[in-house]
Amino acid sequence: MTKPTQTKTGPAKTGMIDFRGVNKWFGALNVLKDITLSVEPREVVVVCGPSGSGKSTLIRCINGLETIKDGDLVVDGQRVGDPATNMTQLRTEIGFVFQSFNLYPHKTALENVTLAPVHVRKIPRAEAEKAGRELLAKVGLADKVNAYPAQLSGGQQQRVAIARCLGMRPKIMLFDEPTSALDPEMISEVLDVMVAVAEEGMTMMVVTHEMGFARKVAQRVVFMDAGAIVESGTPDEFFSHPKTDRSRAFLSKILRH
Amino acid sequence: MLENFSFRTIVEYLPLFGQGLVTTVWLSALSFVGALVVGIVLCAMNLQRGWLFRAPAKAYIDAVRATPLLAQLYFLYFGLPRLGFVLPELVVGILALSLNSGAYIAEIIRAGILSIPRGQVEASVASGMTYVQRMRLVVLPQAFKVTIPPLLGQAIVLVKDSALLSLISVAELTRAGQLLASDRFMPAEGFVTIAAFYLLLYYCLKGLAVVSSRWLGSAGARA
Repeated sequence: MTKPTQTKTGPAKTGMIDFRGVNKWFGALNVLKDITLSVEPREVVVVCGPSGSGKSTLIRCINGLETIKDGDLVVDGQRVGDPATNMTQLRTEIGFVFQSFNLYPHKTALENVTLAPVHVRKIPRAEAEKAGRELLAKVGLADKVNAYPAQLSGGQQQRVAIARCLGMRPKIMLFDEPTSALDPEMISEVLDVMVAVAEEGMTMMVVTHEMGFARKVAQRVVFMDAGAIVESGTPDEFFSHPKTDRSRAFLSKILRH
Repeated sequence: MLENFSFRTIVEYLPLFGQGLVTTVWLSALSFVGALVVGIVLCAMNLQRGWLFRAPAKAYIDAVRATPLLAQLYFLYFGLPRLGFVLPELVVGILALSLNSGAYIAEIIRAGILSIPRGQVEASVASGMTYVQRMRLVVLPQAFKVTIPPLLGQAIVLVKDSALLSLISVAELTRAGQLLASDRFMPAEGFVTIAAFYLLLYYCLKGLAVVSSRWLGSAGARA
């Protein structure tokens, strides 16, 4: 523990997501090194960096899919991993979009969207279905409400997955490489939906290498390497004037094509 | 050669075979239901993190799979009365088949649950579902589909295993064959007939497997 004491006024001064000196190990490997990062409400933060740099682990800690070793992680005023925090409840406020979609294959698109609202949020089914249809229409899939995931393309599945998260009316949306598993022609349809979500004022953390998306909607780009945050700045600063050798090397690789 | 084969006797004994068949069907069905209960409980124990539940379940499954069903049956049939439990043969038989098949079913269900991709669990966790909710709404419905074909396979095995109950004088199908064999000294007639009936049961269950897999294939889709 490098931090002296925990501040008594914790929740008062925090952002929506607040990492303070967070560390995590996988065995002997220090996958998150002393992460300090605060995300304000309605802010969109893009996280990028080479593979294995800890980006996914970073956002997976926020809803407790990964546990942290030490440091404080406060989300929506609640300390993650604190026995007093009801993680199940906290997770209902956090949407998580996976690289591999993870739609429920035995449920239709609409059922995928309404499952958690009905059973977790206890919203009446009729109301949840109405909202679900609206959300699917919003992501451009009004005609696919009764389709099963296997009948949908990757881009369509990912849009259903985003609608599934929005159905819970979350305060935060996390995206873990949402377009990495998609064919190139399907990437933009997913990014368009994400831009729309961002423009509605959602607090978002997005692990992605889609620099066009970052420039368009992100207030901040965070660059990670080897488990640490190396650089952080506005998209313009980061892409035009990267400050470190590592970020310059990374950008030259991903922007070459 | 066939002139020695007495179809008349078979026809004469047909009511007895019919009764045996009916007994085999319902005692197998009852045993299968019992085995499902045993299997689900064992599997639930086996999936716990705590050693306290897992160890006994594993020990039980190993013990059942490592020993012959006949030994288990005799243990219950001759052993239980010694311990003060005197049960009718039929009850002992159903108990033995349930306890035996349950161990195999526990492993079938466990394999089904473990075959569900990790991402499914993560997605349901991330949406705020409790353990019970994600088992009920996400994992088990998917595991169920994967489990149906091997479960029907186990049902076929159970029907054949029920023949052993003839050894503790339960009047099931094999017992009917034995009676014909010993009363009239016509083992060929007796055992060919019961073989035909077992084949019939086998095709019924196989047909059920085909129908169910077609039904499961159309409801929803592969992952």
